[in-house]
Amino acid sequence: MADDIVIQGDGLRKQFTETVIAVEDAKFTIPRGSFISLVGPSGCGKSTLLRLISGLIEKTDGDLLVRNSEVVGPRSDIGMMFQKAVLLDWRTAIENVLLPDEIRGTVSPEAKKKAWDHLHLVGLQDFEFSFPRQLSGGMQQRVALARLLQTGADIMLLDEPFGALDEFTRERLNVELLKIVDDPNITTVFVTHNISEAIFLGDQVFVMTPRPGRIAAQIEIDLPKPRTIDLETTPEFQAYVQQVRDVLASHLEDQPL
Amino acid sequence: MSDIGSDGVLAGVKELSPAKKLFMHLSVFIILFGGWELGSRLGHVNELIMPAPTSIAYRLYEMFFVTGSIYWHYIITMYEAVMGFIIGVSIGMGLAISAAISPVFRRYWAPYAVVFNVTPGIAVTPFIIAWFGFGYSSKIALAALVCFFPPFINTLTGLLHIDKDATELFRSLGATKRQYFIKCQIPTATPIIIAGLKLAMTGALIGTVVAQFFSASEGVGILMQRFAFRLNMDGSFAALIVMSLMGLSLFTLMEYMDYKVIYWRRHSRMEEVSAKRKRKWTMAE
Amino acid sequence: MSMDNEAQVSNIELAADYKGSTGGAVIRHTIIFFVLMFIWEMANRTGFSNPLLLPRPTEVVASIWKIYVTQGNVWYHLWVTFKEAMLGCFIGCVVGIGLAVAAVLSDTFRQFLKPYIIIVEATPRIAVGPIFVTWFGFGMSSKVALAALVCFFAPFVNTITGLLGVEEESYELFRSLGATRRQVFWRLMIPTALPTMNAGLKLAVGSAFGGALVAEFISAQAGMGILMARYTMSLNMPSAFAGLLSITLYGFLLFRTMEVIDKQVLYWLSDDLMTKKSAKRKIKFHKEISV
Repeated sequence: MADDIVIQGDGLRKQFTETVIAVEDAKFTIPRGSFISLVGPSGCGKSTLLRLISGLIEKTDGDLLVRNSEVVGPRSDIGMMFQKAVLLDWRTAIENVLLPDEIRGTVSPEAKKKAWDHLHLVGLQDFEFSFPRQLSGGMQQRVALARLLQTGADIMLLDEPFGALDEFTRERLNVELLKIVDDPNITTVFVTHNISEAIFLGDQVFVMTPRPGRIAAQIEIDLPKPRTIDLETTPEFQAYVQQVRDVLASHLEDQPL
Repeated sequence: MSDIGSDGVLAGVKELSPAKKLFMHLSVFIILFGGWELGSRLGHVNELIMPAPTSIAYRLYEMFFVTGSIYWHYIITMYEAVMGFIIGVSIGMGLAISAAISPVFRRYWAPYAVVFNVTPGIAVTPFIIAWFGFGYSSKIALAALVCFFPPFINTLTGLLHIDKDATELFRSLGATKRQYFIKCQIPTATPIIIAGLKLAMTGALIGTVVAQFFSASEGVGILMQRFAFRLNMDGSFAALIVMSLMGLSLFTLMEYMDYKVIYWRRHSRMEEVSAKRKRKWTMAE
Repeated sequence: MSMDNEAQVSNIELAADYKGSTGGAVIRHTIIFFVLMFIWEMANRTGFSNPLLLPRPTEVVASIWKIYVTQGNVWYHLWVTFKEAMLGCFIGCVVGIGLAVAAVLSDTFRQFLKPYIIIVEATPRIAVGPIFVTWFGFGMSSKVALAALVCFFAPFVNTITGLLGVEEESYELFRSLGATRRQVFWRLMIPTALPTMNAGLKLAVGSAFGGALVAEFISAQAGMGILMARYTMSLNMPSAFAGLLSITLYGFLLFRTMEVIDKQVLYWLSDDLMTKKSAKRKIKFHKEISV
């Protein structure tokens, strides 16, 4: 494996029950510093693939290597973010950001300072000591992002993190997310069911199709960076959208949604 | 999260096959009661305190099949509890519906409802006995009193907690108050009302039994008290088991009602009902 | 678990409705109350209702004065019942919560417990009263035992419901951070379950009083149950009513106390407490760290 390959899967397979095969024969490589979008309809196994990489669930078969070592469980160089912000209601924003340190027993004045900086980085100055219930949905996801940064993980797995937010908030957060993870050392895998979002964010888009969950196509997105919202109206962008739609359509023809 | 299996720290309960489950429960049961029996036989457990399972079983057998003495007490207790339940539920739900319909009534009734809520219903037992005497009526009255609160509060909560969008939909369709009540409020509130009825059923039985303790000549409650005071513990335990059976049968009845009435919350029932309606629909065509 | 918890949590709502009333409403309520009392009094004096069964409000007030001040005998009985109920409640809650935690942490134990839970739920537990009196005697311990037995169920069920109510994604977050089981339990499960657990404790306090009273009805030398029973048996209804009103009053006070504690413990559910807490934590943070 080349040094700049961070995650590698081959023949990866996850079966829940006899009939439910969530991921089948997945083969992919994810280079360091890249942003991968994982797009597909619900039930196509994209969340399962993400959880396999994170070590939250075990594979049934095949190879899955992160930094050349077999994934056996959650690891500290991988951080996750979910569709729900999953904040602890009884802790203020900054205390939520400090949770990773508390769990690892690494709370220190420096860690606290870092949590403060991370909250500011995600644009939450003046809300450091608000409780989650006092924050809007978008702000809650910002806290979750700050917590992810606090883990110090350089592999970030995001499972439809802004899926529950309104379109405007989501667009803004996507742009900010791109700025934050624009670092040659940070590798990001982003799950979504929104085709435009996947293309807008990704260096590569993995298109997944359901029953069984397969990676049907891996599309390089060759669009200029930094990406801005106006990009979505360009013909190049639309061509990518069409390409993804074609892949999905050819697999979904006969399936009721 | 539709496309992953749940395997959290706790959600990983392995569903055993029914046969295995039964075997597991049976073996635990046998170990538990076998140990108890053995303890009694070997004299480690005082029979006067904890009679052996077999002697309790024998007393049960005697009550039901030899002397048949239990049936009358059983019927009386059931009668008192069910009558109390019906009265208590009618009053509770009646008050709740009035309170839901009329905000004025709700406002003026609220402090008294709080008073009822914080007074344990069974504290009123001596009064009920003084007012209604030593016969059936005092048991029915106490059962009604103890069980009226859960249907009241649950019906009120259910009727008032209607989704705002649903209310707006009905208003936009020009529904009358009556239509809104029957087609929206009542069906929406049904699950929580039935939950209240379940609690009321247990309450009615408790009320009946406590009133019997206080003073009665018939009923499973007084039977078990007499046995206990004569240190006839196996008889007392047998009566307790009869009471458990009574509770279980009433409870099962409520569960069945729940199952039948709230068909839109269970997949198997939905399939059943939708097949039935399809037949009806196509026949009408 | 088939238990429906909606019902058990909802009791608080009506009280909240009540709290919303303004000063004017209080006056109106008071007027209505006195009008009702006046009608009652008149009905009694004119012979429309039997004063022997339903005593006059004035007589009840006189009796309250009597049992609290001139005779002063009610204090002792109140203390006895309070002690029995509180001790029973404490034991019942400890057992209930302990069993619930064990049932939640061990799937096997939960499976074993399931049929017994249904039986215990369906049995009128208070019916064990006579057996307890026989076992534990006529003194305080039988009352404590019955109070404990009667009240253990609500905290038990609510603790299970609360602990099992933790969302899958929260577990995933903790696992992805490499949390130990102990950390998951104390930092995630317990705080998440706390609101439901507290609702169970509130119910337990109420039913503990019921349990203690019933055990006293069955046999006792002292306590509010036996006091009221004696008064009604001798048809001294005004005093019996005074006793019942005391129970209502103390029940209410206890309930309010529990609500106040509840609000303080569950500070993250109350807007004003959150604001206060967040200001405090801010000051503390800045004292420690300069940014």
